[in-house]
Amino acid sequence: MIKLFWNTQNQKKSITENEQIKSKEELDFKWGIYHQKNSDKWIYEILKKIKYNIINDEKNLEKDDTLIIVDSSPERKNELYNKLKLICSKLILIHLGDEASSHDLSSIYSKFSYVLRTFCSSKYFNSNNVKCIPIGYKSGIINKNKKNRKYKWAFTGTPHKSSRHDLLFQLSNIKPFFCHKTERFNTKIISTEEMSEVLSSTEFLPCPNGFYHPETYRLYEALQCGSIPIVEDSYKYYDRLFPNNPFIKIGKWADAKPIINSWENDQIIKKQEECNNWWNNYKIDLQDLLKNKVI
Amino acid sequence: MDSSKLKSIDKLINDKKLDQAQMELSKLGPEFLKNTQYLYLRSKIFYINKLYYLALDTLLIALEFGENEKIYILISKIYKILGNFELSKKVANPELRINAITALKNELTGISQKGYEI
Repeated sequence: MIKLFWNTQNQKKSITENEQIKSKEELDFKWGIYHQKNSDKWIYEILKKIKYNIINDEKNLEKDDTLIIVDSSPERKNELYNKLKLICSKLILIHLGDEASSHDLSSIYSKFSYVLRTFCSSKYFNSNNVKCIPIGYKSGIINKNKKNRKYKWAFTGTPHKSSRHDLLFQLSNIKPFFCHKTERFNTKIISTEEMSEVLSSTEFLPCPNGFYHPETYRLYEALQCGSIPIVEDSYKYYDRLFPNNPFIKIGKWADAKPIINSWENDQIIKKQEECNNWWNNYKIDLQDLLKNKVI
Repeated sequence: MDSSKLKSIDKLINDKKLDQAQMELSKLGPEFLKNTQYLYLRSKIFYINKLYYLALDTLLIALEFGENEKIYILISKIYKILGNFELSKKVANPELRINAITALKNELTGISQKGYEI
C-alpha cells in the first residue's frame, strides 16, 4: 500500500541548555509548520495521480508499504529514516525548504529510492536520484479568472536587497500597479485570498530573487493566476531548471520597463497563454513522473 | 590574514582570469568573510559578470566592515548602469555618500550583518 506521511511539523527536540541548539531546533520547528501550512496544496497537486493513504505517525506503517514522506530538516532525522527503511519496500522523500543548501545531504538522500527537493543547486541539476521540483504556490492561491487585468504589475514582499529596491525604483512610474511592502519575511503579509485577487488582476509579475536563492513563491503564484512572470536571469537558473520555459528574463529591472510599458494587448495575451500552457504541461509531466517513480 | 593572496586574486581578475580568481576566492577561509578587500573582489567578479545586484549587495555588506573609496566608486558605477543617476551621483560625492548609503541600508532589511531572522 502507498502511504503519505507529512512530517515537516515533527522536529527533533533535544533536552539541552545549549542556546545554539535550542534556537536551531526552534527555527526548524517554525519552518516545519510554515511548510505544512503553505505547501500542502502544491504537494497534493503534484501527487494527484497517485492513490495513497495519509498517515500521521510511522506506527501506521506496515511491512512492505511504499512511503512518501514530506519532510524538512532531514539532516536531523537519520534515526527515523533508518527505521522507515527497515519497514518499507520503497521510500520516497519530498524535501521542502533548505533554501541555503547548508548541509551535505548525500548520506541522508542515499536512504531513499527517490528524492524530490525544492531549491535546486548545481549538484542536483543532473542527478539521477534527486529531482528538483518548484517550491510551488502558497496554499490558497487560486486563479480568479478576471476578464480585465487592472494592474500593469505588482509587488508584495520585503525589499531586503538591492534587486527589489531597484525594481521599485524602476517600475514605480508605470501605473496602475499594486504594491504591498513588508518590513520582515512573513510579517504583515496580505492574505492568500487578497493575493489571488491581485495576481489575477495583474498583467506582469516581477519575480526578484529570494533571500538566499533565486526561487520564490511569486513565480508559481503568477503562473497559477495567469500573470506573466518576469524573472532575474542570474546564472541562467531558470533555464537550467526548466529548459524551454517561457518566462521573461532580465538582467536588470530597467530592461523590464519597456516590456511592461509598451507591450500591446495581443502580445500580452499571447504570452499569458504561452505561460499558462507551459505551466499546465509542466505539472502534468511532474505528476506522471512521480506516479512512475512511486508505483 | 594573508593580504598577498588577495592581491594575487585581484591580479587574476584584472587579467580576466575570472574562473581562476573565483576558485582562489572560494578557497579562502571564513576569516575573510568580514574582510572588505575580499568582499570587494567578490563584487568585482559579480560586476564583470553583469550580476549587478549581487555586486551591490556585496559592496554594501563590505561597507559594514570598513570604508574604502573604491567601494563607493563601484557602487556609483553600478547605479549609473542601472539608470539610477541620482543615487549614483550621491554615492560618488564624498559629502553626500554617507547619508545616501545610510538611507539605502535603512530600506534594505537584508544587508545589515547584525542578523536577519524569520
